[in-house]
Amino acid sequence: MRDSISRALLAGIAGVMLLALAAPAAQGQADLVGVAKREGRVVVYGSMESDVFAVIQKIFEGQYGIPVDYFRASSNGVMDRVLTESRAGKPLYDAVLTNRSPMMILKTQGVFGRYVSPSYGSYPSATRDPDDVLSPSYRQVVVSILYNTRLVKAEDAPKSLADLLDPKWKGKIVMPDPNVHTTTAVWLANLESVMGAQYRPFVERLAGQVTLAESFLPVVQKVIVGEFPLGITYVKYVYIFGNEGAPLDYVRLNPVLAEAHHVAISAKAPHPNAARLFVDVFTSRLGLLALAKAGEFVLVPGVYPSIKDAEKLRIVLMDDLSEQELKQFRDQVGSLFLKR
Amino acid sequence: MAIARKPDLTIKLVRHWSARTDPVVLAAIGIGIILAFLALYPTAMLFYGSVSDAPLGVPGHLTLAYYRAAYGDPNTYRMIGNSFVFAAGAAAISLVVAGLLAWITVRTDAPGRALFELVAVVPNVLPPLLTATAWVLLLSPRIGLINVVAQRVGLPPFNVYSMPGMIFVEGLILAPLAYLIVSAALRSMDPSLEEAARVAGSHPLQAARRVTTPMIRPALLAAGLLNFVRALESFDTPSIIAIPARIEVFTTKVAREALTAYPPNHNLAATYAMSLLGIAMVLVYVYRRLTARTERFVTISGRGYRPHAIELGPWQYVASAGAILLLALIVLLPFCVLLLTSLLPFYSVPTWETVRQLTLKHYAFLLTSDRVARALRISTMLAVAGATLGMLLASAVAYLTVRTRVAGRGVLELLTFIPWAFPGTALAIGLLWGYVRLPVPIYATVWILLIAYVTRFLPYGLRAMTSTMVQVHTDLEEASRVCGAGLLHTFRRVLFPLLRPGFMAGWAILATIFMREFSTSLFLYTPRSEPVGPLLYHLWIDGLHGRMAALGVVVSLVSVVLVAGARRASRTQIAD
Repeated sequence: MRDSISRALLAGIAGVMLLALAAPAAQGQADLVGVAKREGRVVVYGSMESDVFAVIQKIFEGQYGIPVDYFRASSNGVMDRVLTESRAGKPLYDAVLTNRSPMMILKTQGVFGRYVSPSYGSYPSATRDPDDVLSPSYRQVVVSILYNTRLVKAEDAPKSLADLLDPKWKGKIVMPDPNVHTTTAVWLANLESVMGAQYRPFVERLAGQVTLAESFLPVVQKVIVGEFPLGITYVKYVYIFGNEGAPLDYVRLNPVLAEAHHVAISAKAPHPNAARLFVDVFTSRLGLLALAKAGEFVLVPGVYPSIKDAEKLRIVLMDDLSEQELKQFRDQVGSLFLKR
Repeated sequence: MAIARKPDLTIKLVRHWSARTDPVVLAAIGIGIILAFLALYPTAMLFYGSVSDAPLGVPGHLTLAYYRAAYGDPNTYRMIGNSFVFAAGAAAISLVVAGLLAWITVRTDAPGRALFELVAVVPNVLPPLLTATAWVLLLSPRIGLINVVAQRVGLPPFNVYSMPGMIFVEGLILAPLAYLIVSAALRSMDPSLEEAARVAGSHPLQAARRVTTPMIRPALLAAGLLNFVRALESFDTPSIIAIPARIEVFTTKVAREALTAYPPNHNLAATYAMSLLGIAMVLVYVYRRLTARTERFVTISGRGYRPHAIELGPWQYVASAGAILLLALIVLLPFCVLLLTSLLPFYSVPTWETVRQLTLKHYAFLLTSDRVARALRISTMLAVAGATLGMLLASAVAYLTVRTRVAGRGVLELLTFIPWAFPGTALAIGLLWGYVRLPVPIYATVWILLIAYVTRFLPYGLRAMTSTMVQVHTDLEEASRVCGAGLLHTFRRVLFPLLRPGFMAGWAILATIFMREFSTSLFLYTPRSEPVGPLLYHLWIDGLHGRMAALGVVVSLVSVVLVAGARRASRTQIAD
């Protein structure tokens, strides 16, 4: 994989660099705060769940008293809106945060400006954007097999992706349709480097085993209500819905794939300084700790979401797909999932 | 059938008016300009997008590449075929359900009908996404509540993940809208014809079939047409049912190739939208042909107009039972799932244990959230203002198209239909492209939502108005004119009171839709003007289904209040 790095390596590098995190450059910071406050507010477009975002929003507003307007949409919706406003010459957003593939496309389209927050220094250098446009990955969203613990005992659950092909699971697995859900397409495409020669026969047979849904969320809902015992979706749902008492656990795949999320600042931000200040807080240790507490995987050594065995996972970050690669994937692999 | 005498006088009367006084012509011109702007501006933007090789805001060259990509693919036609089966089936189910329910609640003395009428509009308030999900929870092969019960009594389960399943669910989602249009027409109908049939020895059901149905044919056709187009462009039910069933319809193809492409390809989406426009225009033409001889349906004349109910005798309880069954399908079952979801930490198939889990915490969230309060405030404002504006515009258009012979009046009606032909998302793209360029600051304000709502949903208002206006004989206006009243006076004192049921029915439809509209809003709102629809959607995609359901319940109640208010206003006038 081009730029995927194992979590263990990241954690090692991060440990060394983390010390610099606590003290922001005092003088520059004071100036920034003053100007940012005069700008009055900061507008953020993102695909982060409103409840999780609210945690950071509270920290930021509490610290600086600058209100945050948050526009939440699907990652596709965020990309769409940002592109539309930029092309129309009416960009209303200051900062954008979503997953890697759309962020890379937005970066290529030139909607972002360069910014290096003082807090980036504490991230592993391998996760830094050489062009200084995207932030390092502030969270990694991990995808695995989730199962309903009322319907499947831990010992009967699949242990690997290959186990999904067992005839006993036919029609009992739900996953997002890679033809309409892009992160699933990215996930499936990235399996190739994990599975090697086994990849093609695996996806061909998987397509015949599964029922499709629109995205990760309907998948986990279907697993929770027991419509399907197994589902391919985000591991963090084990924490989010498990807290409410949902009977969920996940398969400890080795390695397990995750998508990196980034934040960046608009090239024409109406509130550029408030945006910088926001990114500083968002990517700071304080911000990351708050995210981890809300169930997210973050790049702070020794810090894990409260999900069983989270610390044992070997997380591999997925490569993004370009526009052309996605189209090619859908023609070659996605079409397998359309056959009835 | 010739129900009433051909109103030759209309022509004379109108010629007389338009020749001597200009208001009719002037009004037609003014309204024409407003409609043309509302409808054609975003349409032109979409058309431009479909033939430009560059996205919005980027200078490009003319190209037919998107048309070749979209219509050179044989799959497109197969999927349009699937969509036609789906839309025709769903529209038919919606008409049967709505027609029966409207007849029982409006025309008979079935006990409880006033309550039924109010309950029938509740599902209009529920986002289709929610209703479709509720039906999956009821009819999923393994865990669907109805299937679980069916299997206990030895019946085979019904698989909702199938074309019949999709048609059934969409038909029920569309039924309330058809109900509002059909019931408005029934309410304004001259019952003496039904009575005549009864006196001539017809059974009430026979009279309903042979007399009532032909009389309300314009309303039935209109409701069928609107719902057909809406099902054709619907993505909610297909996303919940067609994707798991691996049935490809037109909208899932558009989603796959244009809207979820990286980056989204608005030009291709606009190209696909153009074929929906073509289909809808053909349907409008057919509709106009079928209802061209409007005099066939004139049923309110100067002679003793006083609607009253058919006495069913002992059959009234059967009718009530039938209404309850229909309401169970379109309201009670999905609403119960919604209510249950709003009272549980997360939804699960109800067992005895469920009772212990019941919680009010999602409602507590609603009370404490500023975001919810703001969304409710914005949406209520949009619903009341938008529905009122929309119905005033619809009344004027209906009057001009039905009552006058002003040249180009057919164009007015066509104009209202054009935005309807587009899926909400496509229209939003057109509006966005259009209004973002205007020097007037409309983009990113609540005004663009108001404009979008009125533009998109005007056909519902117009249908409710037209089907009622068609039924009111011109001799009443004529009498008013003969007595010396002016145009406005006649409109206000004679026509409007008779049309009020249609006006209020249209108002209720628009207000309830505006209360929770999301597919167009999602593209156009800003965080500071977030209405209820996007908020519901965000709670949904954040997995906060309990909160979403609780908000859904509250919005349903707000909408019932709006509808009850509208109904009261329409009744008062009839009593006068």
